[in-house]
Amino acid sequence: MTFAEETGELRSPGLPGIEGFDTLIYGSPPLAYPAVLSQYMIYNTPDPDYVTGRINVSAFANLGAATPWPFTNTDVPINGHICIPRGRGPFPLAVFAHGNHNPFENSTLGYLYLCQLLASHGIIAATIDVNFLNGANFGENDARAIVHLEHLKQFRSWNNTAVHPLHGKVDLNRILIVGHSRGGEAVGHASFFNRLAAIGPVVLDGSAGLGPYRFGLSAAAAIAPTDRQFVPATGPTVVPDSYFIIHGSKDSDVYTFEGYHTYERAHAVDLANPTVSDGKFKAMLWVHKANHNQFNSVWAPETPPGLAMPRPSQEQIARVHLGALALAVLLDRREYFAVLRDHSVATAWDPAGTELVSQYQNPQRIFIQHNQEGLAPPVVSLPVQGTVTADGVAAARQLTALVGGAPTTTITLRLAWNGAGTQLLLQVDPATLPAEHYKAIALRVGQSNEIANTANRDQDFTLEVSSGSRTAAFRASSLHRLLFPDPPPFGPAKIVMQTLRLPVARLVQCGVDPSDLRSIALLFDRRETGVVYTGDLQFTD
Amino acid sequence: MQLPEPPKIAAVEVVPAQPTEADRAAIVHMGLKEPRAVYVVKVRLKAKPPVTSIAWALYVGDERISKYWEYKDGIYFVVFDAQFFAMHKGEQLRFSQNDTDFFDTGMELAPSSSVGEGNAIRLPLQADVLKRSKSLARRRTNRASARKRMSKR
Repeated sequence: MTFAEETGELRSPGLPGIEGFDTLIYGSPPLAYPAVLSQYMIYNTPDPDYVTGRINVSAFANLGAATPWPFTNTDVPINGHICIPRGRGPFPLAVFAHGNHNPFENSTLGYLYLCQLLASHGIIAATIDVNFLNGANFGENDARAIVHLEHLKQFRSWNNTAVHPLHGKVDLNRILIVGHSRGGEAVGHASFFNRLAAIGPVVLDGSAGLGPYRFGLSAAAAIAPTDRQFVPATGPTVVPDSYFIIHGSKDSDVYTFEGYHTYERAHAVDLANPTVSDGKFKAMLWVHKANHNQFNSVWAPETPPGLAMPRPSQEQIARVHLGALALAVLLDRREYFAVLRDHSVATAWDPAGTELVSQYQNPQRIFIQHNQEGLAPPVVSLPVQGTVTADGVAAARQLTALVGGAPTTTITLRLAWNGAGTQLLLQVDPATLPAEHYKAIALRVGQSNEIANTANRDQDFTLEVSSGSRTAAFRASSLHRLLFPDPPPFGPAKIVMQTLRLPVARLVQCGVDPSDLRSIALLFDRRETGVVYTGDLQFTD
Repeated sequence: MQLPEPPKIAAVEVVPAQPTEADRAAIVHMGLKEPRAVYVVKVRLKAKPPVTSIAWALYVGDERISKYWEYKDGIYFVVFDAQFFAMHKGEQLRFSQNDTDFFDTGMELAPSSSVGEGNAIRLPLQADVLKRSKSLARRRTNRASARKRMSKR
């Protein structure tokens, strides 16, 4: 499918929409902030219709004792900024949360640029104050999640209050939660907590002030998140809702791309039921030259001048891709899923020359090879039946942390070749692979910075798909660039796989019968040497 | 740019204090006896690290401290059960950013005796413990080694 076919009449989701909107402050007065916290005094005089209560987060967090907050952890305020479209609604809701930063600087306003964009498209958008959890603290991201959910509860309360200006205006079945940094980790926990009746000794039925939640979360989006700073008693959080993550290669705060692990855990294959899907999608955008802080418009960059892309470029990328997500999941503009499936759809809208890597997993999929069976030689994954032959290519499954940092639990397949013409051949029994029911073949693959790959040169190979006597061949580079890893500010380079999507319609055009598909081969004929890592191969929508 | 360096610990102090309501609820949920005291472990740092989202997880031996908080002179965490100190006797405080590379601090927890029934009512509030001067901390420090070492688990 060409760019024009894919986008049709699509307009950049990063451009303002046509809806007028009002921006208001909500807060929990009286709040006697001392002079050193003067940036928060705005929450002492909220819009009169938007006065909120306090919540008790003492079961989850202490407040940093080095910051003179005018409240304790038993009565923290519900403060924030809202952009509300004019009109009757009901409007979907998007709520942004910042991460850890100097608590003497109010981080909340840093996402107003995104709230204003979404409001102009007809979405109520808020950015919330979680600054009281900031400082040299650790393990408090469960509290950030609770604060995020309590803000959603505040919107539900206003929506259900007959005399309130937001009465009946909030569509509580269309909610997007977005968090940056530790707030990005927290949206994963919030997605998990949203379905719980209790967390340890804390009941979430409202009887002790917190909960109930059970909101209709359309997706959780994480901007440069941390991972596993808080770990539930049940183990690392597996995000149950649709999940989107964006992270920059020059991030010099969360320099280990922690969110990669969150992404891999979400909507992973269930080995006991490999064909069963939980009905959710996940998408990833890896942005070369983006840093950590410039996604928040008030945080000074953490990188030295010239290392990262300019702030306006980074904000533009956030507008385009978070805008596309919001339009797709909140406004049913399903055509914007094209941007999530393939970032090249947004090339004309992103800053010129931006290099991106993206992954997308649709809920409708069948794995041909997911590699999670173990570290033994690669196989075709059940229930699809077939064989794998490595012809001149060293194929080894590895528990390699492709992004450095913490150990991984996700197995990838490393393919190394030395001499053109080698191949990895998957032969399948067509009776076990209903390929004709899907729209595309999707392969996650990325090159490393090992010496077999030429620095700063795209990697390439040929994808051959055969049915009966017909074979169609496609250069990987015709589907997407396989970028050389961008050098990190420090620490190891990240190997970020790109999802290559080959439409089944193109196979059919080439005479390949998807109902009689016999083999898929990765033919390493474009470069003399190379090393690539593959995650999974699937037929998908 | 350089990889972040782990914080350097100047002193460690363990101070019995009154449990908060939230502490009591958590302790009961954990199936422990109703507490008479909790123990505030104040880790005084030579310099506080910059406030970032990535964090230095604090370990005592191989056990990760699930939550810690900032106070004027460093960070602190709260221990519910005095057995914790016996279990980790002689083990070093360590920092890690990725659960793989560990930085020994050269410091151990100071030993702490459990608090008896009779003196529980005289225990300070945790907030007051955090306001105390650092002179006491120096006396309770147990320095295992002056030299920081890095280890892999």
